[in-house]
Amino acid sequence: MMNAIAWALLAAQIVSHPKMLKFEPLKYEPPRAERYRHVLSNGAVAYLVEDHVFPLVNVAVTIRTGQYLDPPDKIGLAAMTGDQIRAGGTVKRQPRDFDEEIDFLAANINSGIGDTEGTASLNTLSRNLDASLALFFEMLRSPGFDAQMISLAKARRAQGMSRRNDQTTGIEAREWDRLLRGSKHFSTWQETKASIEGITREDLVAFHRKYYHPANFVFAVSGDFDTQAMLAKLEAAIQGWGGTKPVVPPVPKPEHKPQPGVYVVNKAEVNQCRVSLGQPGITRDNPDQYAVSVMNSILGGGAFTSRIVSRVRSDEGLAYSAGSLMTPGTWYEGTFRAFFQSKSASCAQAADIVLEEIRRIRKDKVSAEELSTAINYAVEVFPRFFATPAIVAGTLAADEYTKRPADHWAKYRERLRAVTADDVLRVAQKYLKPEELVILAVGNAADILKGDPTKPQHSLEKLGAVQRIPLPDPLTMVYPAQ
Amino acid sequence: MRLAACVLLLAVTAWGQKVPVEEFVLPNGMKFLLVPRRGDPNVAVGWVARVGSVNERPGITGISHLFEHMMFKGTRTIGTSNIDEEMKTLREMDAVRVEIRREEQALIEKQRRGQVADAKDPKSRTPRHRELVEKYDALVKKARGYLVKDELDRIYRSAGGSALNAGTDQDYTVYFINVPANKLELWFWIEADRLLNPVFREFYSERDVVHEERRMRTDSTPTGRFQEQYEAMFWEASPYSWPVVGWPSDLEGITREEAESYFSLYYAPNNLAACLVGDFDPARAKELAQQYFGRLQRGPRDPEPVRTQEVKQLAEQRMTAYAESNPEVHIRYHSVADNHADEPALLMMSNLLNGRTGRLYKSLVLEQQLATAVRAASSGLKYEGYFELVGTARPGKDPVEVEKAIYKEVEALAATPVGERELQKVKNQQQAMDFRRLQSNFGLMIQLLVSEAQGSWQTINQYSEKFQAVTADDIQRVAKKYFAPENRTVALYYRKEGAKP
Repeated sequence: MMNAIAWALLAAQIVSHPKMLKFEPLKYEPPRAERYRHVLSNGAVAYLVEDHVFPLVNVAVTIRTGQYLDPPDKIGLAAMTGDQIRAGGTVKRQPRDFDEEIDFLAANINSGIGDTEGTASLNTLSRNLDASLALFFEMLRSPGFDAQMISLAKARRAQGMSRRNDQTTGIEAREWDRLLRGSKHFSTWQETKASIEGITREDLVAFHRKYYHPANFVFAVSGDFDTQAMLAKLEAAIQGWGGTKPVVPPVPKPEHKPQPGVYVVNKAEVNQCRVSLGQPGITRDNPDQYAVSVMNSILGGGAFTSRIVSRVRSDEGLAYSAGSLMTPGTWYEGTFRAFFQSKSASCAQAADIVLEEIRRIRKDKVSAEELSTAINYAVEVFPRFFATPAIVAGTLAADEYTKRPADHWAKYRERLRAVTADDVLRVAQKYLKPEELVILAVGNAADILKGDPTKPQHSLEKLGAVQRIPLPDPLTMVYPAQ
Repeated sequence: MRLAACVLLLAVTAWGQKVPVEEFVLPNGMKFLLVPRRGDPNVAVGWVARVGSVNERPGITGISHLFEHMMFKGTRTIGTSNIDEEMKTLREMDAVRVEIRREEQALIEKQRRGQVADAKDPKSRTPRHRELVEKYDALVKKARGYLVKDELDRIYRSAGGSALNAGTDQDYTVYFINVPANKLELWFWIEADRLLNPVFREFYSERDVVHEERRMRTDSTPTGRFQEQYEAMFWEASPYSWPVVGWPSDLEGITREEAESYFSLYYAPNNLAACLVGDFDPARAKELAQQYFGRLQRGPRDPEPVRTQEVKQLAEQRMTAYAESNPEVHIRYHSVADNHADEPALLMMSNLLNGRTGRLYKSLVLEQQLATAVRAASSGLKYEGYFELVGTARPGKDPVEVEKAIYKEVEALAATPVGERELQKVKNQQQAMDFRRLQSNFGLMIQLLVSEAQGSWQTINQYSEKFQAVTADDIQRVAKKYFAPENRTVALYYRKEGAKP
């Protein structure tokens, strides 16, 4: 134990400001894909990351398919197939028996189909690996699509649909996508009660048969196993899988051109309004993505340090949640979206502040301090992208699936460090176009448009012609004529 | 090969079931929990104050949470360009606020008497009131002149600190971040300074931010206000009855003075515990803890435990709500506080009821086709606890039918011993959970701090054994003890008319 004098001496050594602290440099190199990459005999790629700290194994599979492959008259088919692969038992086992076996083994098995990929995963104690893996592949290869489970799934989906207009979060996300990418792009397709009811068991069987072929799988395996033994298990599991490698069409890009303006959805029950302001963004093969990411971090992506949060939230107390996002798209361009939620009366004021900040970052160079904070953060936080073996395997598998350039992670930090204040100004001017902004507000329309009587200088109507978007019928998704 | 793997596995098993925590307590009473682990070059760090909404009283409900926000506003060093002038201005602001408060109270009184329609309408303000607001606004501008905006956040951010945030619950308030392994000392510097020299700047505008948070989480969600009513009905005497975010009238009234006296009692080191999980040297961490947090003065007294205990419920309570929600039934029974001897059996009961092979899903969803979703949860808080069951009616079914079917399952637990395989299933699942919950450094840090705030971090190492020891008899006994009709509170939700379909 130390005595009081020694403590006082220690305390006296504390520097007066944290910027005077000195840190050892942190040496970190990202995992190299080739160290973990294996190609199975049928051409499927597997990333295997061994780690023996916990007696657990995680197997994740990405399947080349997606909701974009839904037939136009059967929207919801892909999502339902992904869900029923897990829920509907197997050809050999009733759903109940299949579930009992998995639960007794204390394994977790999941399956789903999202917008642009199918996923399936297994997490199990390594002592139960063989039994769990056998069940997992039995499910992937020969799902049962039990009829009772299908009818239950239809009831649940219909119930979910009936709540489509209950929450402003859901309304905002749906209408934002439609404004940005139009109603023809798959990312805005909506299943309806009729489209779900029209889906038959045979449709599910056929969708699965068409896309679930191991030549189209990418595996991400991590945890407590021996790599060679695991490779042998994966090989054995895919042996004799019938059919041929499916040809999967590419993910379509949106053709819609967004119409600038102010759009209001009335939800009279709420006292807080959700607002999004934005426009189409960039794809991730765009070399400007590093400058764009730094620009967005300074504008509204960098938590409290960013301009939008600082002004809307901490200066004015107008919102709890505010900021901006500009994630580059993988298959088609992403979007730029600034957002906040504020009480109805102060919506217009907060929107004016956001617009001011968008204009400012296009007009003036960002400060050296803002630039270095944004770049330092992105560089220093980099090892978190590979925080656990499961994340390493998952990231490498996702890169494989989306065909990310091989040097991406190796070059990532130097490309970020190279971004200058001039770059930030240039990309702000190139990609943020205030005159082309789509502005969406969801909340009590009368109160939002009335604004704050003590601050008449702020009004949504001053930002453009206000167009009302009605709420659609939640089961048919037909929008009433206005 | 095979043998080596086996040996390794055993070592891991022994490790995994007990988290090897090194504990030490500074002379001022602040406790530290250290879990060094290899892995990515990062440390998950946090500290907890053993205070939450349960420690509040009417008039200052929501202060714990508002306080959490204030802790991000900086210190006498961080966030200011001239601390002395700034403090002077903040004091002037407080003085004006006291006068504004008096005016507001007069308006509230007038509203109560029906003399004004809306106390918050600026048109109802007296000339004096308006003058005070103008004076106050001018002081806000002046204070802003001394402000270095969100400097605390910026310092962490440029050092690669991620997930900087905090959370307030009924029993605790927890502050956390991930820092790169080489920046650990920065965490000690900033967190100790936050506790030694806090400045509650931007206090009144932050109250507005919290009010927006309340609108977002409660007022503008379909069932938020109904859930508040349900809580207030369920807890008769206990301070768990009010929402963590606080009642709106209290949020508008809390003063900086109240926040300061709250801080001096509940944020004294003898009421705090910190935890580090990840890539660090424990000897160095101990040194830094001593050097930085050793400067905090122990509080004049330890905060007293909450005095008010829940009283025994005598009759079933019910509410019927018409909301934009699914038709649902919520059933809640008073049970026991965290770490009560009956808790493992209650948790096991929830596991027997939950999941695809759980009793509720098999019976209500698959066999009787009454529900589309059902779940059960046992919640042990620091001072009280409850067991809750929730069912969503299948379209065309009434939540009351779901309610009755849930009672049948609960009665079956009391009437018939659970079979051996079923019991073994949930015990197997718990064994896997014992490992899964340890995988994330951040998750483990939070679990340790929360357990510590609710009693002792040691419980996370004792729980598994207790769970594995639960017998079929225990389940029956506990089901009989807590699932009595007069011990329950029920909420029925129906879809509001006009909400389609």
